[in-house]
Amino acid sequence: MTDTLSTRASTAVELTIATPEGVLFRLPLAGPASRLCAMLLDIVIVLGTVNGIGLLVYWIFARAPGFGVMVITLAEFAIGFAYDALLEGFWNGQTIGKRLFHLRVIDQAGLPLRIEQAWVRNLMRVVDALPFAYLIGGISVLSSPLMQRFGDRVAGTLVVRQTPLAVPGEESWTQQKYNSFMEYPTIAVHLRRAATPELASLIQDALRRRNELAPYARREIYRELAMYLQSEISPFPDELVERLSDEQYLIDASGILFGNQRLSRVQG
Amino acid sequence: MILNLERFQAQARPRWKNLEALLGGLESRPDRRLNPAEAQQLQEYYAQAAADLNRVTHGALAPELRQYLERLVARAYAELYYAPPTRSQIWQPRRWLRILRAFPESFRRQFRYFALALLVTVLGCTLGGLAVHYDPASVDVLLPADYLRNPGQRVHEEEQGQGRHLNSTQTEAAFSAQLIRHNIQVALLAAALGVTFGIGTALLLFENGILLGAVAVHYTQRGFGLFMTAWLLPHGVFEIPSILIAGQAGFYLARLLLHRREDRNVRQSMREWLVLVAGLAMMLVWAGIMEAFFSQYHAPVLPYGFKVAVAAAELVLLTLYLLLIGRSEIGAEARSNIPSEQR
Repeated sequence: MTDTLSTRASTAVELTIATPEGVLFRLPLAGPASRLCAMLLDIVIVLGTVNGIGLLVYWIFARAPGFGVMVITLAEFAIGFAYDALLEGFWNGQTIGKRLFHLRVIDQAGLPLRIEQAWVRNLMRVVDALPFAYLIGGISVLSSPLMQRFGDRVAGTLVVRQTPLAVPGEESWTQQKYNSFMEYPTIAVHLRRAATPELASLIQDALRRRNELAPYARREIYRELAMYLQSEISPFPDELVERLSDEQYLIDASGILFGNQRLSRVQG
Repeated sequence: MILNLERFQAQARPRWKNLEALLGGLESRPDRRLNPAEAQQLQEYYAQAAADLNRVTHGALAPELRQYLERLVARAYAELYYAPPTRSQIWQPRRWLRILRAFPESFRRQFRYFALALLVTVLGCTLGGLAVHYDPASVDVLLPADYLRNPGQRVHEEEQGQGRHLNSTQTEAAFSAQLIRHNIQVALLAAALGVTFGIGTALLLFENGILLGAVAVHYTQRGFGLFMTAWLLPHGVFEIPSILIAGQAGFYLARLLLHRREDRNVRQSMREWLVLVAGLAMMLVWAGIMEAFFSQYHAPVLPYGFKVAVAAAELVLLTLYLLLIGRSEIGAEARSNIPSEQR
């Protein structure tokens, strides 16, 4: 089962929400594989808790083991259901497992889920867990456009992926004081006109991800990009290009593409 | 057009950070209630972030930035359009005790689904009873457990107190917990199987009915009718109705799913289902206690007449509870509402 789950999980599925103000945004849906992992972790946590409580209860009821069994049987049962429902209800749609795997349960409309929804979707586990190992729930997730198990369908909820995102980097390569390409305004203007938005973004992305790339890969990518620009788009004079590293070439090109608009005035 | 991404980001970054800080503060706050100034601020930042998102979506190829802004807009949207219950609203014991009144009210509101569950069960009972009556051999098929097939032996064992070697309050306590747990699980399954548009619920109820009917006829045929009544009814008068209410909840859910309408208050209907499930769980706790501590004592210890009388008293109390609690107050509310509408 896990195999089929993980292949499907690799395709990104998302929910698009249109707000009353006409704003559109997408929420990436969580695949079954990560949900399974989060659930297994939660099960381990619940079992640990129940066993911990069990030791305590047996100690308290040492003289009356029967009542100890009674308390622990009922506690195990109640915790099994209440753990997910209470945490999701009061912790904005996350259990400990979901938080660690960056998952969150939300309402179908993109809003936080309500306490009733948390209870309904978790009580429905008795159906989703049938006939064993969440087979029905898994089939339901795979056959649902919103990746919902039956509990989610009934409660009107879904699970989204929420990997943490930082504020987009505060790069400063376009703010450099001196850009040697400025000495050749005609070629620079041509570069600006000929570069498609896709190409411009590509250059910018390559520079932004400088530190994520392995040194060898970075050299290769920068070399190819610089060669492409130099040969196809904007042939700057050789005596200038020879002085520049590929990276510096791209930084200067990016400065022309995205930098301040004075260039046209120089031209004019 | 190429959006000047760098300059755009440099200009917008402060307001994104402000929005993030505001959201962080709100999300970590227990009550998450906005005061008017915060609401206005949030609304403003939200509108700006939404506009920024729009520009990035249409003016630039910046997947990371777009994702970041979508996340920001989604968070702000959730804060603006959702008012979570406050702590003080949740932690009120009185609100929790309200379930005691809400349960019979929901039960009566959805009575027709209860009637349907009853009908299915009675059909099963009749079938099981008739089968055993006309074809005693069918007992082997209908009654899975050995002990149900040989009433004489079973009654003898029970009356002798065999099979309860550790007959003490201790074992009874553990036994009752297992019963409660098992029964609630089965009942919950019946209520949740409503997602199969009620088919699963109906099958479960029908099977349960067949079992009941078959056991009843089988024991009565052998002349153990009174024993069986006294053995099963003290807990059965709570257990059987609670399974019926589980069926009621299941059929109610099926009806909701079959007639999904946008305008219906989904939250209210979910609460109705939850109240029914919570109510039947409470009934099953009582049934489990009775089954372990009371039903298992037989003739020499407890006269059968007394056990049947206790069962009858329980049934009367349960019926009164389900039919009457909360009724007069609803009437009062309705009466007080009418004049206020006329005014």
